[in-house]
Amino acid sequence: MAAQIPIVATTSTPGIVRNSKKRPASPSHNGSSGGGYGASKKKKVSASSFAQPCLSPSTMIVRPPQPRGTGISMEAMNENKVVPSEFSTGPVEKAAKPLPFKDPNFVHSGHGGAVAGKKNRTWKNLKQILASERALPWQLNDPNYFSIDAPPSFKPAKKYSDVSGLLANYTDPQSKLRFSTIEEFSYIRRLPSDVVTGYLALRKATSIVP
Amino acid sequence: MAANVFPFRDARSAPDPVLEAGPVAHGLLPVPLVLDNGSFQVRAGWACPGQDPGPEPRLQFRAVCARGRGGARGGSGPQVGNALGSLEPLRWMLRSPFDRNVPVNLELQELLLDYSFQHLGVSSQGCVDHPIVLTEAVCNPLYSRQMMSELLFECYGIPKVAYGIDSLFSFYHNKPKNSMCSGLIISSGYQCTHVLPILEGRLDAKNCKRINLGGSQAAGYLQRLLQLKYPGHLAAITLSRMEEILHEHSYIAEDYVEELHKWRCPDYYENNVHKMQLPFSSKLLGSTLTSEEKQERRQQQLRRLQELNARRREEKLQLDQERLDRLLYVQELLEDGQMDQFHKALIELNMDSPEELQSYIQKLSSAVEQAKQKILQAEVNLEVDVVDSKPEPVFNLAAYHQLFVGTERIRAPEIIFQPSLIGEEQAGIAETLQYILDRYPKDVQETLVQNVFLTGGNTMYPGMKARMEKELLEMRPFQSSFQVQLASNPVLDAWYGARDWALDHLDDNEVWITRKEYEEKGGEYLKEHRASNIYVPIRLPKQASRSSDAQASSKGSAAGGGGAGEQA
Repeated sequence: MAAQIPIVATTSTPGIVRNSKKRPASPSHNGSSGGGYGASKKKKVSASSFAQPCLSPSTMIVRPPQPRGTGISMEAMNENKVVPSEFSTGPVEKAAKPLPFKDPNFVHSGHGGAVAGKKNRTWKNLKQILASERALPWQLNDPNYFSIDAPPSFKPAKKYSDVSGLLANYTDPQSKLRFSTIEEFSYIRRLPSDVVTGYLALRKATSIVP
Repeated sequence: MAANVFPFRDARSAPDPVLEAGPVAHGLLPVPLVLDNGSFQVRAGWACPGQDPGPEPRLQFRAVCARGRGGARGGSGPQVGNALGSLEPLRWMLRSPFDRNVPVNLELQELLLDYSFQHLGVSSQGCVDHPIVLTEAVCNPLYSRQMMSELLFECYGIPKVAYGIDSLFSFYHNKPKNSMCSGLIISSGYQCTHVLPILEGRLDAKNCKRINLGGSQAAGYLQRLLQLKYPGHLAAITLSRMEEILHEHSYIAEDYVEELHKWRCPDYYENNVHKMQLPFSSKLLGSTLTSEEKQERRQQQLRRLQELNARRREEKLQLDQERLDRLLYVQELLEDGQMDQFHKALIELNMDSPEELQSYIQKLSSAVEQAKQKILQAEVNLEVDVVDSKPEPVFNLAAYHQLFVGTERIRAPEIIFQPSLIGEEQAGIAETLQYILDRYPKDVQETLVQNVFLTGGNTMYPGMKARMEKELLEMRPFQSSFQVQLASNPVLDAWYGARDWALDHLDDNEVWITRKEYEEKGGEYLKEHRASNIYVPIRLPKQASRSSDAQASSKGSAAGGGGAGEQA
């Protein structure tokens, strides 16, 4: 997104690898329209734009509409980092102090960000992590995250009414909802269709197969 | 009736003060920091003996962060945990580092750690100079541990870390100082429920099982149930209020089917339904008018319509009358014998014969008659209507804003016993327990069952212990014994256990992973101890700085390592 480019452009100094979460070595860094690059960022923008403030100590206020202002504040924070500031116990001020116990130049290697270039730009979610873990050379008896998933149930599930939760002996053929008494049946027949779908979705019983 | 009407507390969390670490943190040996990193709450505190920092964790906050509202609140950055106050207005902006029970987004994790260290008063420069005890998931994926170690060692520069399982810490906290006990831990948390067998003081990891249901799924289920039942209150049925209902108004039925039978009976229902009172909102069914105003408006519309209709009818009547008159005049022409004029008129009227004229006249006159009748009737009706409107019955405004929580009280917590309630295919706790027990010989089963331990926030429903005992009774052989114990403080015991562990092992170098070992053996390295996962020595490729390097780095062979990884 073009809004991020001005911020990137100001942080071209080498020491601040951390601030330039936006790829110092990549072409978009020059501020030129990273055409295809910009397009490929479309999905990850939200993650990375949130990630910006996460580098809290030095980039607390990365506000796209005011690129000049942030540029200035980031310059100011360079000085701050060099001199470890006395840690204040007051409330966090607008220009947040870098936390002294952290290494300010740290970059996560897992998150693409500045270092991984175009390849991986967001954090892997659990599914992706597990998929790559499966590929590792496990032995048969090694415990790992997916091998300790509980097995599916062998016992037949009891049927409960969707509306009241009582034991359901009957199913409405029109909407496939389960009910236990006549009053529930009349209630079900008068329900709007979105509520009906909602009840079925709750049981994961929605099916596109007619 | 006023029985069983409960308001929502809608509690807001107060922001945490930034505490002073005090002299405790600056002793001779650096004091360990204990962090119970849970997907629901993070609990952090110092581990030192004595009363100075207090034995309980100094910080407990929800493991969520959110950017300032509106996005334009420059400067304050993302708020964490208790600084957020009430979670509901920010519900869609909340982000958590966890995906199920594993931290995957390490930047958010970094925020949480920043918050913890800052508020605990860590003041060492350049690095966090305290050993850290951190909890991780059962059989934590290696990648996640690698990322976490990297964060801790490289960003915070800690000297050493130890990873443990929260339920094991809780287990050891509740047992006497006897490290050689066996038992079955059932730990039900926010995102998942584990059944962990412990043999001779050590976790039998390959026989553990995890059910992917916990407190958050129960809250989600309850929320959708109530939203479907009360579609008018969609926005007022929030997850925080659902959690409140779960914590305070739900219980686990000892015998689910029997309890449902009890709920069928209307008296039982009346006595036990909990009516949650929502705050009054003037939006009734989406309209901003009160019922009287709506009626007024309806009546006005009706009157207008009627008047319109009457006017139209009169006009039509007028036209018809005129036409009838003309036709009658033409007919008179015929009767009078003025044939030429008659024929001319017929042609004008577009008719062919006097018979047609006649029939047309008849039709028109009957239509005129009917119209006159209708007008008369309409006038009569109008008068009758004006007299006859009675007001709608005023309904109970308080009852409209109440959520009746009846069987939902037992349905929502029941999902861990019967996951089929929400369509999950996994087996419930009881069946999983039986599955695990069946993998052991009978004598080991006996020992395990003597020591069933329940921990975790999601086990705090009233009736949980009784239900577990009933399930065990059903699955164990006739007249065999078993023992079920609930943790003394299911929520905080993991932290206490971790703190006790840290105090016991302050000098023990066999259990801490030092920075040097991290650098040599990689972030996924784990040193086993009595409360830890099992370490399987597979080397992960280091997530290198350039993606091209990542493929090229070597994978440590784990062919021979499997043997070492087997549990003792």
